[in-house]
Amino acid sequence: MSEYINVAGLIGDSIVDGPGLRFTVFVQGCPHHCPGCHNPESWAFEGGTPMTPEDIFTRMKKNPLLTGVTFSGGEPFCQAAALTPLAKMVRENGWELAIYSGYTFEQLLSDPVKTALLRYADTLIDSLFVLAQRDLTLKYKGSRNQRVIDVQSSLKAGTAVLNTTERWN
Amino acid sequence: MFTTIVKRDGRVVPYDIQKIENVVYKAMEACSRADHGEASRIAKLVEEKLIEHFEDTAPGVEDIQDTVENTLMENGYAYVARKYILYRAERTRARELNTRLMKIYDELTFADARNSDMKRDNANIDGDNPMGVMLKYGTEGAKDYYLKSLLTPAQSKAYSEGDIHIHDFDFYALTTTCCQIDITKLFHGGFSTGHGFLREPNDIQSYAALACITIQANQNDQHGGQSIPTFDYAMAPGVRKTYRKLYARNFAKAIDLLAPDYEKTSDEIYGAIKELWVKEDIYPTLDGNPVYDAREAELFPMEPELYARVRKFARDYSLRETDRATYQAMEALIHNLNTMHSRAGAQVPFSSLNYGTDTSSEGRMVMRNLLLATQAGLGNGETPIYPIQIFKVKKGVSADPGDPNYDLFHMACQTSAKRLFPNFSFLDAPFNLKYYKPGHPETEVAYMGCRTRVMGNVYDPSREITYGRGNLSFTSINLPRIAIKAKGSIEWFFEELERKMELCTQQLLDRYKIQAAKKVRNYRFLMGQGVWIDSEKLGLDDTVGEILKHGTLSVGFIGLAETLVALTGKHHGESVESQRLGLDIISFMRGFLDRKSRDYTMNFTLLATPAEGLSGRFVKLDAKKFGVIPGITDRAYYTNSFHVPVYYPISVCDKIRIEAPYHALTNAGHICYVELDGAAANNVEAFEKIIRTMGELGIGYGSINHPVDRDPVCGYNGIIGDECPGCGRKESEDGCGFERIRRITGYLVGTLDNFNDAKRAEEHDRVKHTL
Repeated sequence: MSEYINVAGLIGDSIVDGPGLRFTVFVQGCPHHCPGCHNPESWAFEGGTPMTPEDIFTRMKKNPLLTGVTFSGGEPFCQAAALTPLAKMVRENGWELAIYSGYTFEQLLSDPVKTALLRYADTLIDSLFVLAQRDLTLKYKGSRNQRVIDVQSSLKAGTAVLNTTERWN
Repeated sequence: MFTTIVKRDGRVVPYDIQKIENVVYKAMEACSRADHGEASRIAKLVEEKLIEHFEDTAPGVEDIQDTVENTLMENGYAYVARKYILYRAERTRARELNTRLMKIYDELTFADARNSDMKRDNANIDGDNPMGVMLKYGTEGAKDYYLKSLLTPAQSKAYSEGDIHIHDFDFYALTTTCCQIDITKLFHGGFSTGHGFLREPNDIQSYAALACITIQANQNDQHGGQSIPTFDYAMAPGVRKTYRKLYARNFAKAIDLLAPDYEKTSDEIYGAIKELWVKEDIYPTLDGNPVYDAREAELFPMEPELYARVRKFARDYSLRETDRATYQAMEALIHNLNTMHSRAGAQVPFSSLNYGTDTSSEGRMVMRNLLLATQAGLGNGETPIYPIQIFKVKKGVSADPGDPNYDLFHMACQTSAKRLFPNFSFLDAPFNLKYYKPGHPETEVAYMGCRTRVMGNVYDPSREITYGRGNLSFTSINLPRIAIKAKGSIEWFFEELERKMELCTQQLLDRYKIQAAKKVRNYRFLMGQGVWIDSEKLGLDDTVGEILKHGTLSVGFIGLAETLVALTGKHHGESVESQRLGLDIISFMRGFLDRKSRDYTMNFTLLATPAEGLSGRFVKLDAKKFGVIPGITDRAYYTNSFHVPVYYPISVCDKIRIEAPYHALTNAGHICYVELDGAAANNVEAFEKIIRTMGELGIGYGSINHPVDRDPVCGYNGIIGDECPGCGRKESEDGCGFERIRRITGYLVGTLDNFNDAKRAEEHDRVKHTL
């Protein structure tokens, strides 16, 4: 049995967490507490719903329209170990995987457990949300300082490579 | 003795015994017992009683009538007395109806549309505007007359009590619903609007302008939507004509510029090219025409290098200018269709344009520019409410990457993600595909307005085409009521449903008879200009009954979801068994109408009713009659046709999958909606995927609802919460709210102000699809 993921909420058919129709997993618990946060109710590390990766994956499989999956939160990388098996299943099923994080790409690389999860993602939207740089016209970001990162190219290059496609920006 | 009496309204008039004698005589006559002597004797007895009771005081009319009634009874005229009582009751009802009408007029005159559901009955009409109110006066007066004079008692009762709903009842005895106009045929050789003759148009701007005039003129002859089923094919000749004109001009200009000493003047050059197309039907085209090129080289001999430069100039400029002219034409068309009031002076026409399959460069230019103009919006960037646009998705033509018009399909998705139109029709759905003949655009199924579809033709199977045909009238059944009354008996439900179907089809036939007796001169444009199929074969005083048989008589239904809850406890989104029963019910209705079609050799079809005023009316009546029943009468509306309830959380894919099979059954029209939360314009990929899924799962006609808001101050268009992303202004600031465009029974509405109560509640309950 895999480790439980502490889930704040699941949304199928999302069009706001990445291009195409996406299944979004909001995890419970976040250490960043950015002022102006969209989901402050997901800060506490207690009180979510524990779910297995298999259970969540079964729900995803019911939707034949999915383009991809998005991990959001909460802070997904606080549950990196629990999410990694789900990330693997998602990728093996041929779906795209995007992850939102308050950590930067560089910070994630310094932690092997977090890096293990990151390896399965195609896209990372990183950095803290900064209220002063909030911009409601951005497609999939909350504030201008955040970055859309092409994860696989970045891992190869050893440095953050931005995804500048129109699909994401 | 009294010498006067008091009438109901308080007026005092002279007493006349003759009047009593007359009513008594009439009552006797109604029982075949007419006898002047007896009538006179009874009248005298009545007078005696009145004197005894009232002495010198004037009696009231009611007092006199009571006395007449009693006197008749006492004198052995029990049957006559009953007739008299009935007569009195009927007069009372008529009086009450008149009073009701006056009360309605009072409300129309003095109430604010915001507070009057009646004035917001149809979201397209401005209930505060004088022409809008005038229209409502006419509407209410006409309804009153039809109810009392044209319907049979059974129909009148079923309609008044809400068993059935007769749509466009205000036009009951006047005209038919809608028409799919073949403007290519209409434009050929020119036409007349009744106030003047219009020549055949000669450039794209005139084509577009005349298309609007056509829709406007025909809207005055019918109460429903006006559709152009093949807009791309119809406009393409306009582009062709514009291009050849511009080419001739630019060719002459190029010679002027590049070879000033050339032997012919620019006027002569222009004239020579024009002569080619007039006399020999040879002209330059967007794609290049080798036959023309050869003639041109012959006519204008010059240095090869110079000739190449002249031609390049002429081509480049003509292409650019034609494109520009086409854009302006489409922009003007959209503006016109949103501003010219025609239907009873209070509404813009219900216009629909279908397109997507013309792969010619000219047709494609029309579509691209129409979509661009739609994206740009109206003068201040507002979302255009009209025309309803329908993009045809067809495999091998527009559906898949690599198809010649796939780029336009993608662009249509982009446009709809921003502006809510176009909707999408799927020509590969088996029930649409069976009519499709390549090279015959008139065999491509088109949809009108909110969902109407007219294609099959039992009256003339060789004419299963869109052109010149439309719906004649439609009547909807209150399905949930039958289900509530069935008290769990499915058997009784079907028996009663059959009785109601019988009632509806008979009523549609009665209405058809009224329509059939009309003459060509009643519809100077629709029939007089040959818009309706075969009307060109009739004279001004011929009746239209026979050619109307190309149209459809449709029975609709509302609230399948509530019906299933009443019968089984669950709707078709919740349970596979309910879905099976739902399909049984709708198949039964379709089967009934197919039989009627064969029996009468007329087109009886089944409609998934678009129910604007209706969705609230039925449920209000039923809640009053049967109480508030959870899942059935506990909301302000019944769910549209076969839709899964808007408040029920369901995935996009499951909703499409559940609703798709009903499209095959509802041959008079249908539509499916998917609700999206978030800025669809930012995620066209998701939008297109959903549309493609609709096509793959057998939907005939579908669209996606998503929020489209606009800040009138800075012009930002997109999703606006309580703060404008464009300028940061809050909703409450500057006393000016944000505009929120929503779709209501197929039409877009600029603000929720014009929604009636039921539709406001429905919009409020809509949940976006989740797990």
